[in-house]
Amino acid sequence: MALLAANNLSVALTRGGSAFPAISDLSFQLEPGKILGLVGESGAGKSMIGRTIAQLLPSGFSVTGGTLDFAGEDLVTMAPEKRRRLLGRDIAFIPQEPLSALNPVLTIGQQMREHLARIGKTEPARWREHALAMFAAVHLPHGAELLDKYPHQLSGGMCQRVLIAMAFASRPRLLVADEPTTALDVTIQARIVKLIEEMRQHEDTAVVFITHDLRLAAQICDQVLVLYAGRPAEYGPARDVFARPAHPYSRCLQLASPGMGSERRGLFILPERMPGLQAIKTLTGCRFADRCPNVVAQCRTSEPPLAKVDGERVAACIRPEATAAIEPPPAAAHAKVTGETVLEASGVSKDFVTRRRLFRAPATFRAVDKADFVLRENEFVGIVGESGSGKSTLARLVVGLESPSQGRLTLLGRDVTANRTSERAFRREHLQIVFQDPQSALNPRRRVAGIVTQAMEAAGGGTGTERLERARALLDEIGLAPETALRYPSQLSGGQKQRVNIARALCALPRVLVADEIVSGLDVSVQAQLLDLLLRLRQERGFSMLFISHDLSVVRYLCDRVLVMYRGEIVESGPTETVFAAPSHAYTRALLASVPPDDADAAWNRDDGGDLALVERA
Amino acid sequence: MFATIAKLLARRILVSIPILLLVSMLLFMILRVLPVDPAAMSLPPNATIEEIEAKRVEMGLTLPLPQQYAIWLSQVAHGDFGTSIQLRTSVTRLIGQTLPATIELAVLAMAIASALGIAGGLLLFYLRGTRSETVLDVGSIALLSLPEFLWGLFLILLFGVWFEFLPFTGVLSAGYQKPDITGFLLVDSLITGQFATFWNAVQHLILPAFALGVSFSPPIMRVLRSSLLDVYQDDYIHQARLRGLSERRILIGHALKNAILPTLSLMGVQFGFLFGGTLLIEIIYSYPGMGNLMVDAIRNTDLPIIQAVGLTYCVVVLVISILVDSLYLILNPKLRTR
Ligand code: SF4
Repeated sequence: MALLAANNLSVALTRGGSAFPAISDLSFQLEPGKILGLVGESGAGKSMIGRTIAQLLPSGFSVTGGTLDFAGEDLVTMAPEKRRRLLGRDIAFIPQEPLSALNPVLTIGQQMREHLARIGKTEPARWREHALAMFAAVHLPHGAELLDKYPHQLSGGMCQRVLIAMAFASRPRLLVADEPTTALDVTIQARIVKLIEEMRQHEDTAVVFITHDLRLAAQICDQVLVLYAGRPAEYGPARDVFARPAHPYSRCLQLASPGMGSERRGLFILPERMPGLQAIKTLTGCRFADRCPNVVAQCRTSEPPLAKVDGERVAACIRPEATAAIEPPPAAAHAKVTGETVLEASGVSKDFVTRRRLFRAPATFRAVDKADFVLRENEFVGIVGESGSGKSTLARLVVGLESPSQGRLTLLGRDVTANRTSERAFRREHLQIVFQDPQSALNPRRRVAGIVTQAMEAAGGGTGTERLERARALLDEIGLAPETALRYPSQLSGGQKQRVNIARALCALPRVLVADEIVSGLDVSVQAQLLDLLLRLRQERGFSMLFISHDLSVVRYLCDRVLVMYRGEIVESGPTETVFAAPSHAYTRALLASVPPDDADAAWNRDDGGDLALVERA
Repeated sequence: MFATIAKLLARRILVSIPILLLVSMLLFMILRVLPVDPAAMSLPPNATIEEIEAKRVEMGLTLPLPQQYAIWLSQVAHGDFGTSIQLRTSVTRLIGQTLPATIELAVLAMAIASALGIAGGLLLFYLRGTRSETVLDVGSIALLSLPEFLWGLFLILLFGVWFEFLPFTGVLSAGYQKPDITGFLLVDSLITGQFATFWNAVQHLILPAFALGVSFSPPIMRVLRSSLLDVYQDDYIHQARLRGLSERRILIGHALKNAILPTLSLMGVQFGFLFGGTLLIEIIYSYPGMGNLMVDAIRNTDLPIIQAVGLTYCVVVLVISILVDSLYLILNPKLRTR
């Protein structure tokens, strides 16, 4: 019997007397010991399903139809107190943002102890032993020290393992993992996934694995359910869905994420965005029609029902046979860059003082060790490595937010190592940085027009109307409607914010752009749009870029050359294709191995990178 | 952790010194430019001009102002605030007699304000979205808009005069002996085992402390409510619910510990104001604290007392803010471990 079964489950937001469907007609069956993947862009309703299982829906949302049975009992109609007792004990959750999922003012030990007391599997006096055993089970080193630490003293990967230890402690029958690895490094992702698989094996736990990464889902899930705008688009065995997607949306998602296969291919750009709750209500016909490359007039007449495609697979499309014909555009070839050198680092090192000592030289930590590289005109160079590898410090050195302890930095032939005032102005003129988190990088109280033309303001140039004109031109260039100029950041989506962020950096017409993780955390469709934007801008106006990322497939797609950083050192560098096809350093190989392969049938030979992974600082 | 706190204390104390110097200078200068002559005041009304002049020389009033200030300051630094012109006793002793009473009043008032504020904040939060919340909210604004001296009068009328529940003048009823060890009446009566005295003193304190505390509770209540609302948006609250913790456990064990931090900063600021507020309340309740001493001194232009009391208020407020900052550091691990 299925442990978790949804039957025509519907969830809606009720506002002003009318209901807006958030999840429509969802059915699935999950057996013990199996993993069900829920895949889709943000807003597709994936996380809403997790919340429905716990019956902790955002205010205004409620289940409007169908049932959601856990071990034969409907979670929706169950008495709240009874359901609460299931949570944390029989049903455990692993969250998306491990750092914020732990209480910042309580130690790990206090939180662990509370949880163990709550699930009641150990005598209170022996909670410590149990906690340490759980830490060992999730391969957390220095468990005993960890108990006295606060969450902010740990890395994201360690926090996630603490949360997994909590989830595993009760040996739950159902585990709901909501994008558990999105915020983490690739090698840690591989290890976390492995932990979940182990638990499934040993305890026969059923797992709901929510992810936006179809490739990852194909590797670890038994079944995959692709959601689009709250409705199942395709449901079936994971490998089938990935190898031969039946629904155009599945196919487009797959093609929107850069591949790691032998052939480098272009990205499929899904236009526009998924319809929101408001739009869904008034839609007739297929919800995907506006973005579907295979759309025909008939698609818009009525909502296509889920129909059997082959074997155990169902898809909600009237012409699934046409799906296979959707092809990605050809890949833009990597540029063979021979232009002049715009940026050069020679022997650049950075030491951070970790502790000041009396009468002795302070204890230091070397974050970047003798980095040598050049960036040529119109060249995109990727820097990959895990958090703590020094890649972000290197970026900060390049843009002058830190000064190197040793070595030389040259920008357009001028020595900018010392970062004096005159150099700072020079640097600002020719080099701009785009940060990871557009949310905090954009001043919420300024209109977009003001934000993107900040460089003009700093240079003291331009009247109000001139700046507005410039803002409009920039927005047009990055593919946003000119009227966006008068909006505030809070009125934009994540992808739009990142575009504004890029437009701001480009306003001063810099020769070099430093981009720090600018596409991480975005949907693959938005990511594809941004990557294409960067390539197009390079063609139109020409600039060089240092692109820092932990996502190897993105770097492979975008960058001409790549630097691999490990413990502060550049351990390998070269043309992207060469490095990825024949990695020479063991760490590069471990990094590459931790990415799920393109081919669903290929075995994912993750070595869990044990000894090679960075020793996480406890 | 202790190292961090020690560092904070050292820094705050260092910063306090110039503040105190500045305040003392202001106090000294303002009082010196007032058109009063301490020499004439300390002599009988029939004193001759010559006698007054001699007194002026004796009191050092003929010296240049900076020199007068320097002399006064060095005396103050040695704990000597001079002699009261009116009462002819050591000002330091007068402060020593009245300060403990004022501290007792302020601390109790702050305790009442915090208790009401925290309980009210929790209640407001618990009732969020209901009609009772609106009622309570409006009620709290009403509380806030009534100044503490009106509260004082109102409570006297209600509990002192009408119901005759509680005493409302002085610190002890007639017939009770005041033990004198530390100067803190509540403490002294407890350690000497005079429980009847203790109880009588508590009864005397209730009305003034309540009058003072109650008008300080609404801001605490509202800040706590709004920071609880903020904290409830955080991931770890959702995660705690997913772990099946009860709502009460989440509120007390998780949310409150975070939400109390901004509330605490506010309480620190408020305690400063509240300490200043003791002045009016002491007058209304004829409470023998520093406030009454100050008012008498102002009436009699007793300069040494005014200066001393002013400076003492300043020191107390600084000490409170340092204590609150240390407490904040203890409660917030993010600040502590750097
Ligand atoms: S029904 Fe039509 S619009 Fe919808 S996915 Fe299929 S082909 Fe595309």
